[in-house]
Parts: sequence; C-alpha cells; structure tokens
Amino acid sequence: MTLDTRAEAGAAPASAWPIRLDGVSVTYPNGTAALRDVSLTIDAGEMVSVVGLSGSGKSTLIRAVNGLVPVTSGTVTVGPYTVSGLSGRRLRQVRGHIGMIFQGFNLATRIDVYRNTLVGRFAQAGALRGLLGVPTAHDREVALSALHTVGMLDKVWTRAGSLSGGQQQRVAIARALSQEPSIMLADEPVASLDPPTAHAVMSELERINTERYLTVLVNLHLMDLARQYTRRMIGLRAGEVVYDGPAAEATEADFEQIYGRRIRPQDRLGDRT
Amino acid sequence: MSGTTAEPAARFEVPPRPRTWPRRALIVSALAAFTVATCLPAIGGVEIDLGAIARNWRHGAANLSALLQPNWAFFPRTVQPMLETLQMAFVGAAIAAALSVPLTLWAARPTNPNILTRSAVRAVVNVFRAVPDLVWATILVAMVGVGALPGLLALVLFNVGIVVKLVSEAIDSAEHPYLEAARAGGATQHQINRTLALPQNLPLFLNQWLYALELNVRISAILGIVGAGGIGRLLDERFGFFAYGDVSVIILEILVVVLVIEAASNILRRRLA
Ligand SMILES: Nc1ncnc2c1ncn2[C@@H]1O[C@H](COP(=O)(O)OP(=O)(O)OP(=O)(O)O)[C@@H](O)[C@H]1O
Ligand SMILES: [Mg+2]
Repeated sequence: MTLDTRAEAGAAPASAWPIRLDGVSVTYPNGTAALRDVSLTIDAGEMVSVVGLSGSGKSTLIRAVNGLVPVTSGTVTVGPYTVSGLSGRRLRQVRGHIGMIFQGFNLATRIDVYRNTLVGRFAQAGALRGLLGVPTAHDREVALSALHTVGMLDKVWTRAGSLSGGQQQRVAIARALSQEPSIMLADEPVASLDPPTAHAVMSELERINTERYLTVLVNLHLMDLARQYTRRMIGLRAGEVVYDGPAAEATEADFEQIYGRRIRPQDRLGDRT
Repeated sequence: MSGTTAEPAARFEVPPRPRTWPRRALIVSALAAFTVATCLPAIGGVEIDLGAIARNWRHGAANLSALLQPNWAFFPRTVQPMLETLQMAFVGAAIAAALSVPLTLWAARPTNPNILTRSAVRAVVNVFRAVPDLVWATILVAMVGVGALPGLLALVLFNVGIVVKLVSEAIDSAEHPYLEAARAGGATQHQINRTLALPQNLPLFLNQWLYALELNVRISAILGIVGAGGIGRLLDERFGFFAYGDVSVIILEILVVVLVIEAASNILRRRLA
C-alpha cells in the first residue's frame, strides 16, 4: 500500500480546531487539586505534547478538553464551542468533533473490529438510527476507510480482544478517525506498547496531524518521544504549567525542571527503529 | 521515591491510616451476640430436640424400604405431568431471559448512571428475589387459580430476580474501558448499551440463563405441591395415598431429568466459554 492511496482513502479532511484553556482549575471530589489555574492556547493544526510525571495532571488536562472531567473553575473552548458548562445532547455533539485514544486502547474486546470502529459514528446518528443502532451506508464507508488508513482493513471481522496491542491501538485510532474529528486527544497512547510499536503508533499520529490537518494533543511521559514527534511541548508539574515551548530544543535541564528530579534512563524510550 | 536529597524526617511521612477497628469490633460483637441469643430458649430461641430424631428413625426406616421398591407400572401416568413441568421450566426461563436484558442493564451502574431509575429497578428486583419461590407460587395460585399458569409466573418472577441481581452485580464489578471511549466520542447511553455493553456482557447473561433453567427444573418439580401444576401435583397426590411405590418412581424420574438438564447445560456452558 503506498502512501498516496492511503491519503486518498482518508478523504474529506476535517477543519482543525484550536483549543483554549482560560484559568482552568480542576479539583476532584476527594479534594485533590489536579490542575491549578492553567491557561494555554493551542492553534488549529498544531501537534502538541503534554509531559510530566505520573500524577502531574496530564490525563486531567486532556479530559477537561472533551468534558470527561468537569472543570472546577475557568473555561475550556474548542473551536466555536465552550465545553465547560455543557451537558447532555450539546456536550455529546461537541464530543463528536473530538477524537480520543487511550493508553489501554479501550475497545470492546468481545466485539469485532468493524463494530468497534462504527462507535466513532454514534455521535452523527439521528434519533431513530441511534435508537435502532443501524449504521448508514455513509457510516460504513467512513469506518472502513478509517480502518484502511491505519492498515487494519484485513482484520475487520476479527474480535478486537484477539489483536495485539499495537493493532488494538490502530483500531482505536480508526474509531477516533471515523468521527471525522477536528481535534485528536491521545492519553499516553504508547505507554502499553513495546518500543518499535510505540514508534509506529506515534508516526501514525504524526501522519494524521499533517495529512488530515487535525489538532493533536498527546500526553507522553517519555522525553525523547515528545522531542521527536511534536513541535511544541507543555510541561506539567503538580497541576501547573512549568514549561511551554519548542519540543525539539528542550534541554535536559528543562526536563529536570518539569520532572522536579534528575533524568533517569527510564525517561527515554530509545531510538526510532 | 527513594529521594536521596530528602530529609530523613520526611522519608516516612505516612498519611494517617483510616480507623477501621471500632467498626470491625462492633460487627464481630454484634454477630456473636446474635448467635448466642438465637440459642437461648428463654427468649424464644431455636430449640433443637435431638431426642425426637432418635425416636422417629424407625418409622422413617419403614417408609424408606417402601420407597426402595418402585412401582414401574405407574411410570406411564407420570409422563404427561413431567412434560408439563419441563415446559414450565423452559418457557419460564425463556420469558425471564427476555425480561432480564433491559432490567439488568437498568440495574447496573455502568449501563445506567442515573441513580434514581437504577435504585428503583434494583428495589423491585430485590423484592422479586427475596420472596421464596414456593411463596410466590402460593400467592399466584390464590390469584389466578390452580394449574400450570401460576407455576410459570412464579418461575418467571423468581428467575428475573436471580438473573438481574447476579448479572448486574457482575457488570458492576467489571471494568468497562470501552464505555469511556464511546462516551468520549459522543455516544448516548442507549447506543453504548445496545451495541457494546450487551454483546460484551452476553456470556454473563448466558451463564445465568442456563443456571435459571437448571433451578427451574428442580423447583417446578415441587411447585405442584402448592397447586401450581406439573409433576409435583402428582407427587403430592400419591404421597397423600401413601403410595410409596409410585412416589419412588416420581422421585427417580425427577432425579434423572435434573441430572440430564444439568449435564446438558454444563456442556453448553463449556462451549460458550
Ligand atoms: N477520579 C479521580 N478522583 C480523585 N483524584 C483523582 C482522580 N483522577 C486523578 N486524580 C488525582 O489527580 C492527580 C492528577 O491525576 P492525573 O490522572 O491527571 O495524572 P497523570 O499526569 O495523568 O498521571 P499518570 O501519568 O499516572 O497517568 C493525581 O494526584 C491523581 O491521584
Ligand atoms: Mg494519566
């Protein structure tokens, strides 16, 4: 499969949306302050990484963008919508424009790849089709073309649970792509994968960013992945932004400041293979 | 963290442990007090008269020897009631299986986040389950008259109670990462339940449906004693006439049918696993 046919298959490039956080704080019901007064703007079409230690608030930040975590104060804006304060049908509608992939892939393991991918079309279903759960011909086409894009079309009738980790993450990317999203969120998408597979999945995200012109926000805890694949990097420590700048030029000292400790060997994944 | 730079005093700053022993002590002493109280005849506790068992065992032995001589000539008369019993068991399990799907999904937290409707369904189902099967049968015989219908209704109510409780609790205690992914993509709860949660949890349902069927064959054999049709009514009648040879045939027949159904259901279960 050449890159050209793949690009063709992923037709209809959605328009990218900017993301804006204004003085966002998140305090969980148990009193944990996970984000403290975070303000940042991510331009349409940017690919940005969020780096920080475990517990620094990376997942909370990314989940605030699509409203999976409600903000305690401040506002979150994506494209033309203010996410904070939305609920019900309006929130689902906005989420339909925001794809998301997870560290654990989050597929329904007993269900085939095809039906897992169609989940990305749910937000577009009208009331009646949503009730009956019947996809349209267009839904099927979008889902299959998304699977083609990530090179998983030959596994379309396989149970998701019987795929390898890398394959499952590709299906999860296809599920997000079939939303025809304007933003792609990725919460530690390669943390459960071995190094070569991790690089393959990161390249996939990079390609989506350039070919589909999507805004990509990706959580990483490894410094070399952030340097290699993203242009801009946001460093979080204890819920606060402590670094915001170019990723490639970030020095060891910058990372030590983000981590709040010295660099260790496990902060790196290893070279692209 | 083995912080080499941290002060020794800060190294063992263990957060205060929640105090659980007063609660545990309370539960243990309450259980002990209850056990002692139930054995005190002075306050109406259980009186266990071991002497009565010794006095009556001769009488029992005579009946037992009568039971050991089955009257095989009686067998043809048992076929029709036995078929009625099996019919009640199967139809009851099938109707209960159909009813259990929506009720279970409404009773489990991951598939119904609304606490009001969830608690309501759970309360109703718990009542179904708390009433013993024979009591249901007695009440229903009083309401709709003697015959197979009250037996069938009793089985349905009893089965719904069991299946909904066991499956909804299994769903509650399992992880459902695909739910978060679908929610992040803008899916409604109904779409999630229909296309993901139900197929993903189908093995749990199948297991309990088979279990309900096994229980039904056993229960419906004795439901007839309270007038709810089937082989139990014949058993009661022959017992009334002290026809222990006939009773013996019926009991052996019930035993064989129960064993066959359990074996078949075990084979099915292994295939589905
Ligand atoms: N649902 C929750 N309820 C209460 N506290 C939470 C919840 N989720 C996260 N936290 C807390 O909020 C803080 C930030 O968590 P978050 O998951 O955003 O960190 P993270 O940077 O993604 O960490 P990791 O790299 O381990 O995924 C942590 O202290 C965490 O314990
Ligand atoms: Mg996280």
